[in-house]
Amino acid sequence: MIIQFIELEIGLLPAVAELEAAIATRLQQHGEPLRWAITQIDPVRQIAHIEAVVTVGDFTHPHSVCSS
Amino acid sequence: MQFVSQRPYTVMLIVPTGVGAAVGGYAGDALPVARAIAQVADRLITHPNVLNGAQLYWPLPNALYVEGYALDQFAAGRWGLRPVHQNRVGLVLDCGIEPDLRQRHLQAADATRATLGLSLSDYVVTDAPLGVTLQTAASGATWGTIQNPDSLLRAVDKLITQAGAEAIAVVVRFPDDEGSDALQQYRQGQGVDPLAGAEAVISHLVVRTFRVPCAHAPALLPLPLDPLLAPKSAAEELGHTFLPCVLVGLSRAPQIVSQIVSQTIGQIGTQIDTQNPAQPSDIWANQVDALVVPATACGGSAVLSLSQTRLITVGSNTTRMQVTAASLGLPAIAVNSYLEALGALVAHRAGIDPTALDPQLHALQPLDKTLDGKANGKC
Repeated sequence: MIIQFIELEIGLLPAVAELEAAIATRLQQHGEPLRWAITQIDPVRQIAHIEAVVTVGDFTHPHSVCSS
Repeated sequence: MQFVSQRPYTVMLIVPTGVGAAVGGYAGDALPVARAIAQVADRLITHPNVLNGAQLYWPLPNALYVEGYALDQFAAGRWGLRPVHQNRVGLVLDCGIEPDLRQRHLQAADATRATLGLSLSDYVVTDAPLGVTLQTAASGATWGTIQNPDSLLRAVDKLITQAGAEAIAVVVRFPDDEGSDALQQYRQGQGVDPLAGAEAVISHLVVRTFRVPCAHAPALLPLPLDPLLAPKSAAEELGHTFLPCVLVGLSRAPQIVSQIVSQTIGQIGTQIDTQNPAQPSDIWANQVDALVVPATACGGSAVLSLSQTRLITVGSNTTRMQVTAASLGLPAIAVNSYLEALGALVAHRAGIDPTALDPQLHALQPLDKTLDGKANGKC
């Protein structure tokens, strides 16, 4: 397992719940999300800037609750 | 005061770590805020960054010590919190800690057993140095990583499966960086905690993998005396470790419970885990009555998840983030200070509209004049 820091931009959505789901989907493309936050909003471009930490690769152990 | 017909008034307090929060970005300096909110709420849900003051802590019987990753999952409704009377705390020590410093941590742990009566299992040393690196992101927030996360997780697994640990305290050797600008600023109560982001990654990893309470204390060499040490950074320079507050917090941290969601064709249902049935004391996100956050730090997962919950933003608690409630279209009660936030909570709990406390109270207006018969002469 490795831990990676990523930054990405995502278009704002009308509903916060939709935005959160969209962020989760985008992060999953890079790895398993560990920590993320919208750090800045660009109101002109309607863009949210996100900083996140994700893990890549699994920790597999018979006693762990999750496989990653 | 709580009437039989009322539910417990539950407040969530968030001060993100590693974002340079003016209140809470240093050595447990948001703990007074937590203490005050705990007086006006029946239950306070908050995270280690708020309650940890290294050698200093304050037992709050109605506060739930919830690690940040678990807080996010709780806010999203995926995890619940189950209050406990006591946790058996397991200690993971990074094998990269030098022998004398390791001994200081073990003595701190033994002190909490003898003087506070905490329950600790035998400890585990990782099978490899965990290797912390520290970074600062473009936003100014700090983050970091460990080179051997699997070694950490193996150690935690041993504590849970072989020692019966119910909560995990992790101590990782961090770089000392005594002369760095970041550290000097931090000691003067300014700047961003250079360690915080990496600390969050460590505890988040444990909680995500094992779904147990977890908190971290960095292992560092003592710093030389600084006559200009800021009061809000002073708690971390009283002793040899940051461990006591972590062990105290974990000793009564709520356990994590989850709902199992089963999907059948055309239906989504909730299947309760029969081996771990629901208990009346379990707490879920829909029981949170109010959320208090710094005004510019509204971009976190928990805030977005609780968008339907009363949000109180505190302007004087500046951060390096630049995300206000308004920028996300989130309704919020914007106050300037935590003192005002306390007032907003009291009013909310009492069922009082805050506008009723202003000298000027305007008359009700029609929602839409075209719908008001008196405005256009029609009923």
